Amino acid sequence: METTYLAVGILICLGIYTVISTKNLIKMVIGISIVESALILLLIFVGYRPQGTVPILDHGYDLVVDPVPQALALTAIVIGASTTALMLALVVKLYKRYDTLDVSKIRKLRG
Amino acid sequence: MASPIWLIILPLITAFGLGIVKIFSKKLLKPFLALSATIHLILVIDVVIRAFEEPMIYSLGGWDRLFAINLVIDPLAAIMALLISVISYLVVIYSLSFIKEDKSKYRVPKYFLLLFLLIAGMLGMVLTGDLFNLYVFFEIAAITSYALVLIYKRDGSLEGTFKYLLAGTLSGVFILVAILLVYLSTGTLNMARIAVKFAEVPGQLKSIILILFLTGFGIKFALVPLHTWMPDVYPEAPAPYNAISSGVGIKASLYAFIRVIYVLFGFDFIANTELTSLLVVWGVITFMVAHLMAYQQKNLKRLFAFSSIAQVGYIIIAVSLATDKGLIAGGFHIVNHALMKGAIFLALGIFIYYFKAETIEDIKGLGRSLPLTSFTFTLAALAMIGLPPFNGFLSKWLIIEAALESGYTVAAFFIPVGSLLSLVYYLRVLQSLYSSGEPKPRVDFKRPRLSLELPAVILGFSCLLLGIFPRLPLDMLGQISHYLLDSSNYINLLLGG
Repeated sequence: METTYLAVGILICLGIYTVISTKNLIKMVIGISIVESALILLLIFVGYRPQGTVPILDHGYDLVVDPVPQALALTAIVIGASTTALMLALVVKLYKRYDTLDVSKIRKLRG
Repeated sequence: MASPIWLIILPLITAFGLGIVKIFSKKLLKPFLALSATIHLILVIDVVIRAFEEPMIYSLGGWDRLFAINLVIDPLAAIMALLISVISYLVVIYSLSFIKEDKSKYRVPKYFLLLFLLIAGMLGMVLTGDLFNLYVFFEIAAITSYALVLIYKRDGSLEGTFKYLLAGTLSGVFILVAILLVYLSTGTLNMARIAVKFAEVPGQLKSIILILFLTGFGIKFALVPLHTWMPDVYPEAPAPYNAISSGVGIKASLYAFIRVIYVLFGFDFIANTELTSLLVVWGVITFMVAHLMAYQQKNLKRLFAFSSIAQVGYIIIAVSLATDKGLIAGGFHIVNHALMKGAIFLALGIFIYYFKAETIEDIKGLGRSLPLTSFTFTLAALAMIGLPPFNGFLSKWLIIEAALESGYTVAAFFIPVGSLLSLVYYLRVLQSLYSSGEPKPRVDFKRPRLSLELPAVILGFSCLLLGIFPRLPLDMLGQISHYLLDSSNYINLLLGG
């Protein structure tokens, strides 16, 4: 149980570290994606019950997993996908304009 | 007798109905938008009037209040909803003339689609009583903002938006983690039920959740070390977006933060910890840094971006005091700042529209070419500085009084110092505006269009009106603390006793 939290924590830190340290725009987007995936992992884990089945409230399904975090995870996936798409579109535009993916060569992103 | 959900649904329908309207006739587009915005404003006023008689709860889908996603309209939410809809109504009317079609003939529908989604997102943020719903609306408002900045495809807008996107996504992540931790420790997302169970949460976990919420919302409402996206984004964005973002966009995040600390954590938590002194110091740092940075700017939108950050500092000081007076002062400053910055950015938009004036040098001589717009701009700028008899003076005065009452003498001392600093750079702008110069109009120009000038003038004169007759807004704001300072009132309201 603690291992999962640890894994999620490590993934989030790794993602944020990537965003801060890298100079490559695509890698920044990858860093953000890692953070988002870690969050979805956490969401699924929050709702997890050992031995639980799918959340169908019917006879024979006594122990079910918590359905709320799964609904949240779906929403989070949609939001994550749209932000990533927007970011990648921006990276394409930036690349076309500056002919580079290096942050330090793009004027305003420095610092 | 509209139900409150129409406040959110109508902008959504309008946004997605644009495509259908465009198929039938392009000429219908603008009347359709104006009509929808007007109906929306009427609906909001109707709901707000009823909410002031008795706070309203609306459960989506007719579910029981315990399980449903609720819309909670208490006095603070009503005031915010009214503010958002008034500002966005004026911005929509202004944008109908301001946004010009590009070659592909898609810019106008694209812009209004995003604008109406942004309005729906902000209204959802202030009305909702469900924590995850808050996150969803927060992201709707955020994602539409990123795209709105890019609408002109200017060269500089790409870098600014990328920075904004990174910061915004990280803020969303922080908030989602905080919401998850809340769910993990209380097992519910309904704000009132969380508030009931939150007292049992261990103190350390509470602090972690608080820090996550503060960082997450702080990025959006531009607390000082987290503000860096704002000055880069504003110069490249269209002026009506600046008005709506600075006026009410950042306030919606601020509102969400106020709601979280007062309802979830409650008055006892604020009183028993150092939260107030932390936030007061942070607010002072925020407005001092922002004023000093604003002083060095040449680009007007950048200058006003820093000025917006400074006002957030004042509001944070006022609302973190956790007194009746502080909340009223903070709420009044939220209202005032929305009106002042709305007027300033809309007037600045007219300068840019006709004269391409973007820096302090560019606006020389415009005081003669655009007398009414410049006068509005001056009114709003004087209110911004905090001179009597404008509304900015009153709310800053109330903040000082509230801070002194709670014993934060140093903070109260710094507020007039900040005002003096803002006096310096605003006077520089005004001096340039009224000095002689030969402005070169971009198009054949006689006088600005009424639909551009009227929204700015309305906002500018409302600054003066609220300064002279502050009774009505203050009476309305007097009711907000009832549901904030004592979270059991909010719990009783939402869960029905």
